[in-house]
Amino acid sequence: MKIKGEFEVLKKNRNLSYLDSGASCLKPKSVVNKLLEYYREYPVNIHRGVYEMSSRASEEYEKSREMVADFIGAKEKEEIVFTSGTTEGLNMVARGMEKRFKKGDEVLVTELEHHSNLVPWQQLAKRKGGKIKYIKIDKNFKLNISDLDKLVSKKTKILALTQVSNVLGTVNEVAKITRIVKKINPEILVVIDGAQAVGHMEVDVQKLGVDFYAFSGHKMYGPVGVGVLYGKKKLLEEMEPMTFGGGMISEVGRESSTWARVPEKFEAGSRAIAEVVAMQEAIKFLKKHGFRQEKERELIKRLSVKLSEIEEVRVFSALEAGILSFTVSGVHSHDVAEVLSRKGVAVRSGHHCAQVLHKIMGVESSVRVSLGVYNEEKDLDIVVDGVKEVLKIFKK
Amino acid sequence: MDDLYREIILDRYENPQNRGVIKDGKEAKEVNLMCGDKLKITVKIEKGVVKDAKFEGGGCAISMAGVDLLLDKIKGMKLSEVKKMSGSEIEKMMGVELTAARKRCAYLGLEVLKKLG
Repeated sequence: MKIKGEFEVLKKNRNLSYLDSGASCLKPKSVVNKLLEYYREYPVNIHRGVYEMSSRASEEYEKSREMVADFIGAKEKEEIVFTSGTTEGLNMVARGMEKRFKKGDEVLVTELEHHSNLVPWQQLAKRKGGKIKYIKIDKNFKLNISDLDKLVSKKTKILALTQVSNVLGTVNEVAKITRIVKKINPEILVVIDGAQAVGHMEVDVQKLGVDFYAFSGHKMYGPVGVGVLYGKKKLLEEMEPMTFGGGMISEVGRESSTWARVPEKFEAGSRAIAEVVAMQEAIKFLKKHGFRQEKERELIKRLSVKLSEIEEVRVFSALEAGILSFTVSGVHSHDVAEVLSRKGVAVRSGHHCAQVLHKIMGVESSVRVSLGVYNEEKDLDIVVDGVKEVLKIFKK
Repeated sequence: MDDLYREIILDRYENPQNRGVIKDGKEAKEVNLMCGDKLKITVKIEKGVVKDAKFEGGGCAISMAGVDLLLDKIKGMKLSEVKKMSGSEIEKMMGVELTAARKRCAYLGLEVLKKLG
């Protein structure tokens, strides 16, 4: 498979079947080289340096912002805030927009959410004396959006929703849901966790019509430690910063200070410059190879059929993206993952930061397979063989 | 692999010797952060010596066999000595060498015991 040649780690580990891209994608050579380019050629701080090297670093940093804006369809590059990852972006919104939230107000979330798009809202509700409500999932692991009109009211200030479930691979109809909730309450802020979407499908925030959209670099073949928060400019201007210090101020007095413009007011302190710069290459990589959601879905469907043939296996997936979770009856997910690991298969076992969802699934933990551009049928066949071996070891 | 899932580990996983609760015993709990599995241990202590110990909870073969073997070992030991035990002693009992990730599973029982008042 030609694309594998772009990943040095796969050349060094020829027997690796990497099926944990939902946790972190492997990083192509071009991304790693761009990180090194910063450290080798212009390893200095950005913005306030007048000398040439600093201005090159600043230009590269801002070029990334432009490329990200273009990549997700933001109207202006100022709508792109660099964060440390999806989690930070979501927390920034939960903190920064809390003045809109009054006692008795509600946040609407879904049963699919990763803890990063759930706990910040629980905390907001606790701070303000508000409530959390859930959009339920049905037996096919899809959101039950028919009762949205019952769940949304004037009290609903925020809808926090994942675009793709990190456990079940459900792809939510974000544009449709946004239209429905905004029709009931135009004041509602729609905040999207796009961590599992951006590296696998086309994302256009205008088409989606959302207010905030957060994602991570390393889940789209980019570096670890950098993420993006998109917000409509007006809302970012209204939003309070969460971190204070250098780089985010306009003027500092002895008693109080004023904030810089958007997006600088959200980028306090020295930033992960190399990582931001290397985001350019992650975007180029995705543009060059195109999105593989369809291919990944086909692979997952095939895996689902093969796993379902094994009596002891229960499959949990909406089969809409390259993500599938499963359990083996009587064997803990760690033990399944361990046996698979000995066969060169990298999967994740546990609750995948989705304990509310696992309660609904009726299991404590599961084994998750999540795909990337480098996966092929062979990788998944080893999973099936591995599960059969698990059953042998545990004498089922 | 068969090294890791040795007979003793699989046997203890399937047929634990120390599962249960000691009424009026001292109790401590801990959660395995990797998977959310909960483990509760109750012990009966007389004059600082562990007379009996039982566990409750779910988990992988490594954590369940690990705690079951550990509770065998501590019966008759002073609680203060138990608290000084190291994780490597558990690996010795299990007769396996574990990766960093699985050490967290195997050592869970000892972590719980160290929380006992």
